[in-house]
Amino acid sequence: MELNDLRRHWQQPEPDAAAISAAQLRELLARQRGGLVDKMRRNARLEMALAIVFAGLMLAGLTRTHEIVVRLCAVFSLILMLVLVYYYYRLLAMLRQIAEPGSSVRNHLVQLCAGLRRMFHFNYRLTLWVLPYMILLIYGFFTGRLLAGKATYTWQTWAMAGGILLVVGAVLQVGIVHVTRWYMQRLYGQHLDRLESQLHELEESAGPRSTADS
Amino acid sequence: MSAVPSADFLAALHEYQPLVRRVCRLYCQDADDRQDLFQEIVLQLWRAWPRYVPHPDAKLSTWLYRIALNVAISNLRQRTRRPASVGLEDDAAQYLAQATEGSAYEPEEMAALYTAINRLSDVDKAFVLLYLEDRPYEEMADILGITQNNVRVKMHRVQEKLRKLLVHT
Repeated sequence: MELNDLRRHWQQPEPDAAAISAAQLRELLARQRGGLVDKMRRNARLEMALAIVFAGLMLAGLTRTHEIVVRLCAVFSLILMLVLVYYYYRLLAMLRQIAEPGSSVRNHLVQLCAGLRRMFHFNYRLTLWVLPYMILLIYGFFTGRLLAGKATYTWQTWAMAGGILLVVGAVLQVGIVHVTRWYMQRLYGQHLDRLESQLHELEESAGPRSTADS
Repeated sequence: MSAVPSADFLAALHEYQPLVRRVCRLYCQDADDRQDLFQEIVLQLWRAWPRYVPHPDAKLSTWLYRIALNVAISNLRQRTRRPASVGLEDDAAQYLAQATEGSAYEPEEMAALYTAINRLSDVDKAFVLLYLEDRPYEEMADILGITQNNVRVKMHRVQEKLRKLLVHT
């Protein structure tokens, strides 16, 4: 028996294929769970909302204090939060784009692979930058207090705390690099590998028809 | 976006639901997986529906095949339930018994072919599906985004793979 022989039987309706009613469809749409992309969108929205709340808190802090060191720290924290908000905005735009399945199979795979890879690198770079930035911010705060003569600690304590912060920061950074790689490989990497192999399989032996879909 | 489906979407879904079910039947052996995939395809169809523009050269079925196959192939949901090459479920066996009724083929022959199809990759299954659906090469090329010539070459290879798999079944 060959594929051609199966053709004539293929289009017979399934025994359990009852037509979906309007009520069932409404119920389905109301409890839409979606796949990984939906989950990523939900997480990104939540994290973006948190970054906005923190940005608001920093702004409120700026108006309530006159101490220059605290204000500077609030400004740098605000910058970090705004970078994060921009990152999540871009992430959401990209997820919206890759969640659109109306193009041809090849183009959809190209978009998914490119989008996931971009996100993978962007997310990885961001994670690597956040900890050193935070450490510099904390250390800058204590240095500023000392320079302003408002600190209750000495330069020796400051230098020792700086050394500890540097060592702890370096150890944490190494840990973060490894954990981030592992987590991102687990979250996106396996999907990316699968999608890239599918794209390769579809494209092998002949080129794509065109990049635009009719 | 409103969660109330429009009448034209409902009518289109009603008409093409068997097509979506057949895509699910080819890609999922487990009844729960099949239902999950069906729901995911319907959800994506509903989301994409406002952007669907009827075009004299583009059939609604082509658009539907694209979305259904894109969801089935690039499904980013975790697939943990079972591998694709497991035996047929009871409901699939029931379908086979019904499908072979009055035909020249034994249910075992058809089951062997289904098992061989299940062992193909997701991309190869897309070629099998469109072939079984009797889609012309031009439309297959349109859905898959490759040249008609490439479709012919790939289709030939898929059939060769199936023959080999059937020999080893």
